[in-house]
Amino acid sequence: MSQRGRMPLLWLFIQAGLVLVSCFTDMETGPGAGVSTQPNGDKFKIEGRAIVPGVKTQDWVSTARVLVEGEEYVGFLRTDGSFAVNDIPSGSYVVEVVTPTYRFEPVRVDITSKGKMRARLVNYIKTSEVIRQPYPLQIRASGPHSYFMKRETWGWTDFLMNPMVMMMVLPLLIIVLLPKVVNTNDPEMRKEMEQSMNMLNPNPELPDVSELMTKLFSGSKGSSKAGSSSSSGSKGSRPAAKRR
Amino acid sequence: MAKLILLLLKLCILFFVVDAVFEDQVGKFDWRQQYVGKVRFSHFDTQLQSSKKVLVATESNVFAALNSRTGELFWRHVDKTGPEGNIDALLHHAQDAVLVVGNGRMLRSWDVNVGGLNWEMLLDTGSFQSACLVGQQGTVKHVAVLKKTVISVHYLSNGHQKWVENLPESETVDYQTVYSGGNGQVFVLGVVPHSHITIVVYSMEDGEIIKQVSVEAPWLSNIPASCAVVGQGTLMCVDSTTMSLNTLDLHQQLQMTQIPLQSLGLEVDPDFHPSLVSHQPNPAQKPLSEFFLQLGPERYLLLQLNNGQIVTLRDFKPALLSSFVTTGEKTVAAVMSPKNKTACSINLFSSDTGRRLLDTTLIFTVDPNGGKPERLHVQAFLKKDDSVGYRVMVQTEDHTLTFIQQPGRVMWTREEALSDVVTMEMVDLPLTGTQAELEGEFGKKADGLLSMVLKRLSSQLIMLQAWIAHLWKLFYDARKPRSQVKNEVSIENLSRDEFNLQKMMVMVTSSGKLFGIDSKTGEILWKHYLDNVPKNAAFKLMVQRTTAHFPHPPQCTLLIKDKDTGLATLHVFNPIFGRKSQVTPPALPQPILQSLLLPLMDQDYAKVLLLVDNQYKVSAFPSTKNVLQQLQETASSIFFFLIDSSQGRLSGYRLRTDLSTEQVWEVVIPTEVQKIVSVKGKRPNEHVHSQGRVMGDRSVLYKYLNPNLLAVVTESTDVHQERSFIGILLIDGVTGRIIHEAVQRKARGPVHVVHSENWVVYEYWSTKSRRNEFSVIELYEGMELYNSTVFSSLDRPHAPQVLQQSYIFPSSISTMEATLTEKGITSRHLLIGLPSGGILSLPKMFLDPRRPEIISEQSREENLIPYSPELIIRTEWFINYNQTVGRVRGIHTTPSGLESTCLVVAYGLDIYQTRVYPSKQFDVLKDDYDYMLISSVLFALFFATMISKRLAEVKLLNRAWR
Repeated sequence: MSQRGRMPLLWLFIQAGLVLVSCFTDMETGPGAGVSTQPNGDKFKIEGRAIVPGVKTQDWVSTARVLVEGEEYVGFLRTDGSFAVNDIPSGSYVVEVVTPTYRFEPVRVDITSKGKMRARLVNYIKTSEVIRQPYPLQIRASGPHSYFMKRETWGWTDFLMNPMVMMMVLPLLIIVLLPKVVNTNDPEMRKEMEQSMNMLNPNPELPDVSELMTKLFSGSKGSSKAGSSSSSGSKGSRPAAKRR
Repeated sequence: MAKLILLLLKLCILFFVVDAVFEDQVGKFDWRQQYVGKVRFSHFDTQLQSSKKVLVATESNVFAALNSRTGELFWRHVDKTGPEGNIDALLHHAQDAVLVVGNGRMLRSWDVNVGGLNWEMLLDTGSFQSACLVGQQGTVKHVAVLKKTVISVHYLSNGHQKWVENLPESETVDYQTVYSGGNGQVFVLGVVPHSHITIVVYSMEDGEIIKQVSVEAPWLSNIPASCAVVGQGTLMCVDSTTMSLNTLDLHQQLQMTQIPLQSLGLEVDPDFHPSLVSHQPNPAQKPLSEFFLQLGPERYLLLQLNNGQIVTLRDFKPALLSSFVTTGEKTVAAVMSPKNKTACSINLFSSDTGRRLLDTTLIFTVDPNGGKPERLHVQAFLKKDDSVGYRVMVQTEDHTLTFIQQPGRVMWTREEALSDVVTMEMVDLPLTGTQAELEGEFGKKADGLLSMVLKRLSSQLIMLQAWIAHLWKLFYDARKPRSQVKNEVSIENLSRDEFNLQKMMVMVTSSGKLFGIDSKTGEILWKHYLDNVPKNAAFKLMVQRTTAHFPHPPQCTLLIKDKDTGLATLHVFNPIFGRKSQVTPPALPQPILQSLLLPLMDQDYAKVLLLVDNQYKVSAFPSTKNVLQQLQETASSIFFFLIDSSQGRLSGYRLRTDLSTEQVWEVVIPTEVQKIVSVKGKRPNEHVHSQGRVMGDRSVLYKYLNPNLLAVVTESTDVHQERSFIGILLIDGVTGRIIHEAVQRKARGPVHVVHSENWVVYEYWSTKSRRNEFSVIELYEGMELYNSTVFSSLDRPHAPQVLQQSYIFPSSISTMEATLTEKGITSRHLLIGLPSGGILSLPKMFLDPRRPEIISEQSREENLIPYSPELIIRTEWFINYNQTVGRVRGIHTTPSGLESTCLVVAYGLDIYQTRVYPSKQFDVLKDDYDYMLISSVLFALFFATMISKRLAEVKLLNRAWR
């Protein structure tokens, strides 16, 4: 009731509407048809205020609009953030404040044929569910719109925590650290290791990738073609020969 | 647990389909142009000398403030379309702008600096006549609004009504104008046609009638058109029948004094209705005693009323336009007169003497592809030496605004015709000389091995040359500071880029002006104004020949049809240069019912356009012998359909060899129950890559890909919310067979439809639940294909399987279109224009009738999203981020040369162009591709190999020594 007290003008208007509506209800065929034929009297006003916390209204009102049921009715915001959308027949409407920068939650406003207003949360699935909202509307922005995706930035931690990298780094560590821990000069140990190596590499005929790479790089580097090729050949053949 | 997995799965899917813009991509390949529409009222903000604002109220129901230095928008307010948002009047005082909106329904006051609303007042119903600011003792505090039967006066500060009075004898008197001279009185002027003028004088204080007089004026019927108040309150009227000026002192109101124009030595052009223009510099003061009299289309007179005598100050002949403007205490008259064919000169004249002011000539160059100048908006200012300087905004017939500074420097132009784009096409740019050379090599038939080799070599050489030139240019540009390097786009150096991402946007506007816009930069490369376009014309733009057929120029044909008479004309032009083609289009004496572009080509590679007239006779364009012969051969396979929505009739016709037609089928939808709203076929340039969908159990569900399928949308004539419905019919356009019919009860339009591949998506308003709903229909042949090579409507015995599902959409929509790519491999998205101005890219995946309610192993295998009734709108899916498009009316999608990329143009009040990647950029490196990382890793690896090789050598040597 206090809200009504605040707007005596609107109340008067609604009362005027009430009188007219009561005359019309009997012959009303359907809300659509009925409304369109009545020039005035049962048109109401949706009022409210939009608030963006921490931002001056002057900075955003010029880009804002109030849309009632899509673009069926359009209202504009006053310089203090309040708004009124006029000339709305009774019914149920979704009221939205749209700006390109801030996000406002839509509100459903029900207007009875007598002009009683009720605001509630929009629920498209359970359309009859009523969670009351204050009327006149108080729509508070829930923050700026997030339009953009974050770029996947590249960091060392991402790189290191990658499972593939982990799989590569751990064996490397083992290769580097193991010889330090185990004495390689021990001939027995060496024998054992060679055996295990042979087991790991069942097909000695298969060309080794590292060998191929060394061949390639030494070939490109050499000063004279013949010399480099012969040297690379000798270098390449030596470890292979040794392994056998 | 199962729920958790489900959620995870959902998130996973969401993550993969997300198609958002990255912040650093802003403005990289997208642009927006904002428009306001055809200007109806304009005011320069003069409260400060340095103010840069031009207030404009337009016929598109837009009120905006433009920056007069750059032409950009400070702010813009877009009201409802239609008569409810129509702006009737714009009054401007200090930092308030008062608008009368919706035939006098609403009075709004805007704060010009902030762009916010001061107040809004609902007025009583009644047809709006006139409004004016009312001043008293030098200050303006009120605004008077005159309606058919009532006058009301409101405070400027808060809009509250000061007083409202019913007009006396309003049944007989037609009140038309309200005037105030700043002395505490409001004059209301009305007329009883062919009888007398009624003048009612109200007291400003309380609305009391001070005086009410009638004066004989049997010749007068329209006061605003032929009268003006000048001087100390003298009503000056021009009578075109007796060729005389009539004066009436509003304060004494004795009778009209007639001054024949002949006595002033003036003659009026025959058939011209002379008019008067007066000027009231300040609403709190009296109008000037000087005024303009227009005597002919190119003749103006500057007259002065001096103690009841009319003195001719200056005769402007020839003069196109004239306007008064006041700055400080000085009032000057600006007159535009034609100089030669391509230029007009504007001069300032002292208003009280008619003398020309020195050094005030300004040259306005008339665009030969534009319209004639229509209105002159002048901004005057005082220079330091107290002389008057000025700038003008010229409005031409084609809705263009040109802002010019002395001595003729164009500061900016706004093509406001682009606020109302009707249809558009995107045309590939032509190849460059070298590219064309290469094309030519492959196009021609071989004439010997040696010559082929030579040709190959020569073209290779040309390419090398071009490449070196390009490198040189890069090097040359790199040395210059970045600001100087500008890639000037002009018609001459337009050429197709590597991936065919840059195209020519050919836009047709309702005003009849055609534009060619570079899709990369948004620059207008050509414009062409068709000045004989009827007001209510319908346009259809067709690309008859693309740029692929060098040396034949590309060719577009615009069909302009008068909606009332059905008579049509063709405009044939080159879409790259905008020039009218030499090809003479056929004259079309009969009303045209239907037009269709056939895939047949004539010997010059122009596609054949068939036009069906109201006698069901078909004419072809071009109609060479070759074409007619081809038509005869293929006539039996050419079908077309006609829609008569007024009678609810859909009919299919077949072409006969003699170019007459025969009716094949007819479907009548009774108009008493429902009316046809729209009919949608498929896009002819659409490719479908996969014929079916692989199911979870590795079987294939084949799509029903009927290229002749039409989706017909109907709405019930009964609008009651319990009984209204919308229907959708899928009809084969060749046989007339109804493939499927769906009815949505308790629903009403507007219905938006997208029809593509094997699916139809439509959106409607559910009156029962008061929400917008999407529904999708998908058609499948089943597990096996009847004839996998060709589709024939005549030989398809099995009816397709129809799947349908509906969803809730949490917003109403303005328009809808589907993305389109070159080969149709990329997944599809729906582009949905929302009333908020956002363009949502919704993956088609969400609109899939096979979305399961209960998730199973197979549906997971198929990557189906579990059904949820509500579709969500995520702002990350807005392809235009915060670049909202006002009143989106259409979205145009075109494939580019890259399969992943689809070019999108959204048009409405604004134009927005961007690219979308529905399946992300899978065929090119992403623009955030880290070249640094990959090259540093490569180098690191290289050096690591070198070092390890060296180490290995040392080690081997050491071992050898051991």
